[in-house]
Amino acid sequence: MTPARMAVLRTSLATLLSHYRRHPGQLAMLIVGLWVASALWSGVQAINASARDSYARAEALFSSDLDSITRRDGRPLSLDDYLTLRRAGLRVSPLVEGEWTSAAGDTLTLIGIDPLTLPDDAPLGRTESSAGSLRDWLLPPHRVRVAPDTAAQLNDATRLPPLEIDPALPPGTLVTDIGVAQRLLGFEGQLTRLVIAAERSAELPAGFVRTSAAVIASPGQLTESFHLNLTAMGLLALVVGLFIVHAALGLALEQRLGLLRTLRALGVPARTLIAALALELLVIGLVGAALGIASGVLLAQALLPDVAASLAELYDSNVGTTLALPWHYWLGGLVITLGGLFSAGASMLWRAARLNVLALGQAQAWRGRLRRQLGIQGWLGGVLLLVAALLWWRLSGRAGQQELALSFAMVAALLLGTALWLPPLLAGALRLAARRLRNRPLAQWAVADLQLQLPRLQLPMMALLLALATNLGVGSMVGGFRLTFLDWLDQRLLADLYVRPPAEQFDAVRDWLIERPEVATLLPARSSDATLIGSDSRNAGGTDTATPVKLFGIAPEPILRRHWPLLDTHAGREAAWRALAGGEAFINEQLARRHSLAPGDTLRLRTAQGTRRLSIAAIYPDYGNPSGEITLPVTRLASEFSAPPGSLGVVLAKDRASRDALMARLREGLAARFGLAGPTLIDQRSLKRSATEVFERTFAITQALNALTLGVAGLALLTTLLAQAETRRAQLAPLWALGVTRARLVGVQLAQLLAAATGTALLAVPLGLALSYALVAVINVAAFGWRLPLHVFPGQIAVTLMLALMVAALAALLPAWRLWRVPPRQLLQEFAAS
Amino acid sequence: MLQLTDVTKTYPTPQGALHVLDGVDLHLGAGESLALMGESGSGKSTLLHLAAGLDLPDRGDIHLDGERLSTLGEPRRAALRRQQLGLVFQQFHLVPSLSVADNLSLQARLAEREDNHWTQHLLARLGLAGLNDRYPEQLSGGQQQRLAIGRALAAKPRLLLADEPTGNLDETAADEVLDLLASLVDESGCALLMVTHSARVAAPMDRCLRLQHGRLAEPGE
Ligand SMILES: Nc1ncnc2c1ncn2[C@@H]1O[C@H](COP(=O)(O)OP(=O)(O)O)[C@@H](O)[C@H]1O
Ligand SMILES: [Mg+2]
Repeated sequence: MTPARMAVLRTSLATLLSHYRRHPGQLAMLIVGLWVASALWSGVQAINASARDSYARAEALFSSDLDSITRRDGRPLSLDDYLTLRRAGLRVSPLVEGEWTSAAGDTLTLIGIDPLTLPDDAPLGRTESSAGSLRDWLLPPHRVRVAPDTAAQLNDATRLPPLEIDPALPPGTLVTDIGVAQRLLGFEGQLTRLVIAAERSAELPAGFVRTSAAVIASPGQLTESFHLNLTAMGLLALVVGLFIVHAALGLALEQRLGLLRTLRALGVPARTLIAALALELLVIGLVGAALGIASGVLLAQALLPDVAASLAELYDSNVGTTLALPWHYWLGGLVITLGGLFSAGASMLWRAARLNVLALGQAQAWRGRLRRQLGIQGWLGGVLLLVAALLWWRLSGRAGQQELALSFAMVAALLLGTALWLPPLLAGALRLAARRLRNRPLAQWAVADLQLQLPRLQLPMMALLLALATNLGVGSMVGGFRLTFLDWLDQRLLADLYVRPPAEQFDAVRDWLIERPEVATLLPARSSDATLIGSDSRNAGGTDTATPVKLFGIAPEPILRRHWPLLDTHAGREAAWRALAGGEAFINEQLARRHSLAPGDTLRLRTAQGTRRLSIAAIYPDYGNPSGEITLPVTRLASEFSAPPGSLGVVLAKDRASRDALMARLREGLAARFGLAGPTLIDQRSLKRSATEVFERTFAITQALNALTLGVAGLALLTTLLAQAETRRAQLAPLWALGVTRARLVGVQLAQLLAAATGTALLAVPLGLALSYALVAVINVAAFGWRLPLHVFPGQIAVTLMLALMVAALAALLPAWRLWRVPPRQLLQEFAAS
Repeated sequence: MLQLTDVTKTYPTPQGALHVLDGVDLHLGAGESLALMGESGSGKSTLLHLAAGLDLPDRGDIHLDGERLSTLGEPRRAALRRQQLGLVFQQFHLVPSLSVADNLSLQARLAEREDNHWTQHLLARLGLAGLNDRYPEQLSGGQQQRLAIGRALAAKPRLLLADEPTGNLDETAADEVLDLLASLVDESGCALLMVTHSARVAAPMDRCLRLQHGRLAEPGE
């Protein structure tokens, strides 16, 4: 570029930017929009990136093609077991795993390995390759491998061997020699499991069970959908923020059209002008992205411990509580922010490029343009809604990763399509109103004036619509889920106390409990694993691929038969329970949806005892369970599938005494007779409490992001109103000159905004309900394999309407106050100039 | 300096093509001044826009400073405008976000031909000294138009194109502004093509032409 061109570019850019010196509100609006959009987006992405990093490390460690072997009777493995298997020619390696509490009180996973017998390529055994370090590892004082982020929170030099930093380890995990681990965990002479390379198939001696690596693998799909959920929320915030940016850019362009034409007339080439505008965008974008990414990281830092806790409780995934951000995270944040800015600014650049120099100062034919634009929006919105409807029709009730992505696309089309319809609908309503207000001149003026404001108000109103609808939709979904979930917990957790005796005491404890007068009913349960190898389904589907499933044994006592929830049966509840007793099975909803199974179909299972065929009698809801499950009578599970002893549910005889008294007596007895206490006895109440806690925590983030989005929409409205305040005054001055008081003018302004907000809220309600339905019936099914009933809460609808009015009133307050305070002298000037 | 040969310009309208200019010939030498008169809607502004390279004729040639405008690309025409022309419009088209001083020097800065002496001199002559830091909306109409004239002259153009520069002012303010314009043009030695309705304003100029039915003629013909 020649120096002369540079001078033109520099001066043009300075002149363009001078606009913001006089209208700092517009600049603030632009930066705030970008800031908020990029902060929420990059915050969510920072959480996702950190969690992915943790998963990747965990997966590398465990899903490493190591099958594990345990005792069939559920007792801990001993050194003898190890020797038995080695003698049988199996190349097993011993492993100890347990929870270890650091001096700081953090609970960490401690894994002890034997590097000499571990299969060569297992990442678990990867020590520094030199022989010296293997010697360090095997000989006192030994070594402990730990990830750098975990090392930072460890300062127990006295209890642990010297640390060896290994960035590949997952957070919260220590790996050391098996002897050291046994001592630290108090597991002397015990093994947790024996591992063997997955590809080595071998006959196991009786009394041992092998669990394949596939079953142990991390619950990737579920956590993936959790993150997809977060990403969707982040994307929504990004879109809403970009609405602000788009509105601000539109305003800044409109007010500078004259300036652009003047510059062209003074000899600035069109291309240079576009370059200057693009440069302006770039500068603003870099500032916004820097602010946004910085705040996003802070936001993520604040939210990560909660996210980590709920992921740990929901999916057993260990996620570090410190951020781990790869380089592409920073680049991604920048690209998204700048990309969003330029997509919002594209129309500005396009209009600037097609600028008609000769229309210098000529008023815009806004009416015709607006009508055309509304028409296009109507069409586009219609197409998007059609797409949404088609996707809905195709998707309904199907589970899967691809379906999940499509469901999000469907929701995006639904939201965007409806948002595009908002301005045409508002314009139509205003046209109707204008006709009816002939004999009320001020009201008629207000309506006509609102039509004039529509081009500027439409974007913040669309943002408000989206925010309101997602608030209502997600609120209804969470509220409905809470009701359903609590109900279901009540149905499933029938026993007052759950006893988990050690395997060797199981029979004795059961016999003792049956005799006790405090016990009304005893509900034993067991579980085991199997592989689903096929099904004969009347639906076209059916499966051929082998998938791991859980087998669950229940005691079909009358109380359980009364309460156990069933979604679908072959011939009614009674018949289903008879069928269960007669050898058929119940399956959970997840399994049914994943494999398109219905009552009446049959399953083929591979178990340690050979293959089995089972007929499906009923389908039951099983919220929050990641895996497919098959339920059978517990006696059958014990006899036919040799499932190890599980838990004993105790329903107290509450007609005899108070629950607390019965519970206390029973606990006393169990402690005195069998030495059972602490974690082997679980009170139903604490179980419910912790389940509810997990539930609330999972949705806390969703709801926080939701509230933030509503805040952003309010901000969009406020900044738009502030930015156009000056122009508004010029439009109001003539009315003032005609004798309308300032107080009246302020009132009219407020009424206009509240009317627009009411219209928006009226559209937000059906959209919110549609969204809620999409969440419970499409997205949830696609992501988790179970469906929730739709609940409509009139209270929440009322809240949505109130919120809309509140946001509008709050946003209008400052501009209204400023109008109220403007001296008449200034209005006079404004009038003279207009 | 400026040469129009057989220039034709038509605008499409819903009622059919509107022949605004229909074979216009015009020559303006360096330092020469010309008053352009004609009824409203006769095409005066159109002619000025064509001369400034803001628009192109349908037929005919326009040479500015020896260059044929229709063969130049938009960036070249813009450069020519920046370097050689000063434009003054009926609406002043000042930049509302720039101070008086910055508005005055805007084109000079674009053309990289800023001359502090000349700028100060202009400010003083235009009666704007001391108003440097004000913004356009804080000036009276006469002051705004004087600022617009100053902006056009600050880059020392070789040709000043003025389109009814006083159409928005009352008679006393208009006379004052026009006298200033005339003497500043004399001082700077640039050529002047000014559209005006006033015979009194046209009188001291070197030549006067009238635009009628798309053609130029001597006034009174
Ligand atoms: N862009 C345009 N499209 C159609 N007609 C135009 C356009 N610009 C000017 N005109 C018409 O051309 C004629 C000459 O306009 P103009 O040059 O502005 O006249 P003057 O400046 O002499 O008043 C007028 O009738 C005007 O309506
Ligand atoms: Mg004109």
